[in-house]
Amino acid sequence: MASLELKNVQKTYPNGAIAVRGVDMEIDHGEFIVFVGPSGCGKSTLLRMVAGLEKITEGEILIQDKVVNDVTPADRDVAMVFQNYALYPHMTVRGNMSYGLKNRGFAKDEINKKVEDAAAMLRIGDFLDRQPNQLSGGQRQRVAMGRAIVREPKVFLFDEPLSNLDAKLRVQMRIEIKRLQRRMDVTSIYVTHDQTEAMTLADRLAVINDGRVEQMGAPMELYSNPATLFVASFIGSPQINLLPVKLSGQSLVSGDLSIDGFQDLPADKELVLGLRPDHLSLSADQAGSSNSALKIRVDIVEQHGADNVIYGELIGAGSSMDGEPVEFCVKTGQANIPDIESILDLHFDVADAMVFLKETGSRLK
Amino acid sequence: MRSLLNHLILIAGVLFLASPLYLVLVSSSHGSSTLQQLGLQWLPGDQLTNNYLAVFKLASGFSRQVTVVEMLRNSLIVALGSALLTTLFSLLAAYAFVFVRMHAVRTLFWVSLLTLLFPLEARFVNTFQITATLGLINTHTGIVLPTLALALGTLFFRQNFKGLPAEIQEAAQLDSAGPIKFLIDIVIPMYWRCITVVFVIAFILGWNQYLWPLMISTDDSLYTLVRGIRLMGQESGPGMALLVITLLPPLMLLIMCQRWFAKVLE
Ligand SMILES: Nc1ncnc2c1ncn2[C@@H]1O[C@H](COP(=O)(O)OP(=O)(O)O)[C@@H](O)[C@H]1O
Ligand SMILES: [Mg+2]
Repeated sequence: MASLELKNVQKTYPNGAIAVRGVDMEIDHGEFIVFVGPSGCGKSTLLRMVAGLEKITEGEILIQDKVVNDVTPADRDVAMVFQNYALYPHMTVRGNMSYGLKNRGFAKDEINKKVEDAAAMLRIGDFLDRQPNQLSGGQRQRVAMGRAIVREPKVFLFDEPLSNLDAKLRVQMRIEIKRLQRRMDVTSIYVTHDQTEAMTLADRLAVINDGRVEQMGAPMELYSNPATLFVASFIGSPQINLLPVKLSGQSLVSGDLSIDGFQDLPADKELVLGLRPDHLSLSADQAGSSNSALKIRVDIVEQHGADNVIYGELIGAGSSMDGEPVEFCVKTGQANIPDIESILDLHFDVADAMVFLKETGSRLK
Repeated sequence: MRSLLNHLILIAGVLFLASPLYLVLVSSSHGSSTLQQLGLQWLPGDQLTNNYLAVFKLASGFSRQVTVVEMLRNSLIVALGSALLTTLFSLLAAYAFVFVRMHAVRTLFWVSLLTLLFPLEARFVNTFQITATLGLINTHTGIVLPTLALALGTLFFRQNFKGLPAEIQEAAQLDSAGPIKFLIDIVIPMYWRCITVVFVIAFILGWNQYLWPLMISTDDSLYTLVRGIRLMGQESGPGMALLVITLLPPLMLLIMCQRWFAKVLE
């Protein structure tokens, strides 16, 4: 049984802005779904329609097989965590967490028990009598989550809940959210523009672009098998290397470069070759059937500790998608620290290479 | 140097604004004859207790004798009633203007602002007719009712409410708080300082009313302190004492709430 279902959901704001252009999806019980996409693509709008905070222009939303289009947010039995926490500033932590239960008519003892359990789970038990302005950002975010948890809703909704935290805390909270969601086994939708957050949290993620779902699937599926150029470039860090090319015989050509081993591609179209930084290597033996047509002039070496990321200009290539010299990026082991300006051969397996149609962004190989 | 000069300017300003208060206070310690012959006094006199005792013994009025205690009671009823109701109505109006997201409501806001162009004084005749038709002449209700729509209070609340993050309203919605719960549990506790400020201003406006109560009440029993001052005579010692008594309640209220004024208006 689908826990949550969207059927051709569309949203046009009263001012005429079209935010969501027809989204279909089915979410199973307990799944952790992440909506990811650039800012302004319609993620929040979609989430807010599930919450009932935004009217649905067209289509249907079903929660446990019941159409909820006209059900108020309170009666949909969903809980939401907002980016700016949205705590009630004049209430204590306990007040914030119990308010929804009180309004739903729970008995006092029961409320206290639920609040204290949730507070213990979130490790904010010591702050129950403080006001939000006496808490740090991370603690406030926990309270916001606590307020959602105590209600034991059918669906959790998160709208960029970690964006206001510093990087370290963000990673910590990310892990905690994941753990909490597993433990509570509540269907969740999490909105973010951060692909790392999306990849690490999601059971399945939906990449959204301009009001449409470009592709939906497990994180690794989207990483290794993106359906479009947009998904390929949005998912993955460092970003996928892209090279605009044309087919000539069995080779892809860009400037003076010619890369062999490609078949069954349209000859007269502009194409884009995509190579993940971790599919490139500096020595031939690491890749299977190695192609070594590419060379870079090293520009920057980022040492991340366990591995290094090398950036450099692709030698002999035409221009990039935005008409600039083509930059390629390679992920290697920590031992590889090439000199700046040195020239490196790049090796890859043609099987790992992706080819997209430039015009539509659809994947050909 | 600069800050010294600034301070001197500010001190001069305070002295200038405070001097009438001082004059009235000091003059209320002089006998009526001194005041009549020499005008207001800068130095304390010796009739202080006599004047204040006289105020409470004195009773005045055209057909009937009305005491200071009665006038004080009337002033309090009018000012408190006016302040409470004004605050309530402007709060509710602003709440609707900000939190009810409908076009019709937005339009009504501008209509309510238009009332700023028609102060009570400009519509005395019509207001008098309406009040008379309702049979409210010579009643406290008749004095209070026409002063209720304080567009400035509505505007003030609205500007403050607009600072409330939309997410808080949405969180409350998800927490099953309907419009009335949201008002009582969230908005009022968050904005009680603003509410106090509007209340105090409305209280002072209500307290200082002169012309409208004069028009709508002919019965002495409805005299407020502000009207009583005239009856006691401006150039008499007890008159000055009554003036001081009249000034005190709004002044005390203002001093009590001064901190919140500073917070809200900063
Ligand atoms: N209340 C609104 N009125 C009009 N347009 C809006 C409103 N909210 C969002 N939009 C527009 O809808 C689009 C999607 O917005 P949003 O869902 O907030 O994007 P995201 O959360 O992905 O950044 C944007 O182009 C935005 O400008
Ligand atoms: Mg958003």
